[in-house]
Amino acid sequence: MSTAVPPQQYKLSPVTSGFVLAAAVTVLFNTALAWAKDASAPLTAFMASLTGHHWTTHGLADLLLFVALGLVFATTGVAEKVGSARLPGVLIGAVVVAALGLVVWFAFV
Amino acid sequence: MNGPNTSWLLLAHAGFGVSGCLAALWVFTETLNARSGNAARIQLAAYVTAVCMGAAWICGGYWYVHFYPADKALILKGPWPFAHNIFMETKEHLFFITGILAFLLPMVAREKLDSNPLARKLVLAVAGLLVITGLAVEGAGGVISQGVKAALLQAQSGGFAQ
Repeated sequence: MSTAVPPQQYKLSPVTSGFVLAAAVTVLFNTALAWAKDASAPLTAFMASLTGHHWTTHGLADLLLFVALGLVFATTGVAEKVGSARLPGVLIGAVVVAALGLVVWFAFV
Repeated sequence: MNGPNTSWLLLAHAGFGVSGCLAALWVFTETLNARSGNAARIQLAAYVTAVCMGAAWICGGYWYVHFYPADKALILKGPWPFAHNIFMETKEHLFFITGILAFLLPMVAREKLDSNPLARKLVLAVAGLLVITGLAVEGAGGVISQGVKAALLQAQSGGFAQ
């Protein structure tokens, strides 16, 4: 009798799943905020007024969002509803879309 | 243009960034051969990645906020304005993605990689994305430096176009 575990039954810990999903959301937020700053001088000025430089505020916002979402997703089990097996693909897709979104925006828009 | 007194900060930024990429590549190759015997080494390499990228973030961020405006003005007057308009604008935001991935890596590397193929796949994805985005950021830094150099050479050979 085989004792092998089917691939779809492998799991990740709730903390790992939560922070992977948080990373996927955060990188997309990062690109959206970069677009918004580039399109809105008042937003850039507001962010600069918070810490002295818009880039510093942007980095802190990303870090805070990543940690906050990671804790929320880890404790509420949201990431497990997405499915552990789908998380690597979700993360890769988010990073590719976010990175290409930055390149295309600053090269062509 | 900033002098040698600030160059060490920029070199530290690039040096920590390259070291972080190499550490992520270390995680990637160890994970391809994950077993119980190299689990501690994978976790160590993942922490080295996070520390190096964190240091690159701090060094580069301090330099960008305090010293880059002078270089930016120079680049925009020179023959390679795209070094700022495209490469720096993309790099300064793409780096946040690399940073988030670097802080995620030690968390995913704590999974039982020798017995869980899903966890191995995830670590390979995070480490691979780190290497790719990290090297892209490094390359962009090279173009930005060349933009400053091109502007200085133009200024030396006849001044900026008005």
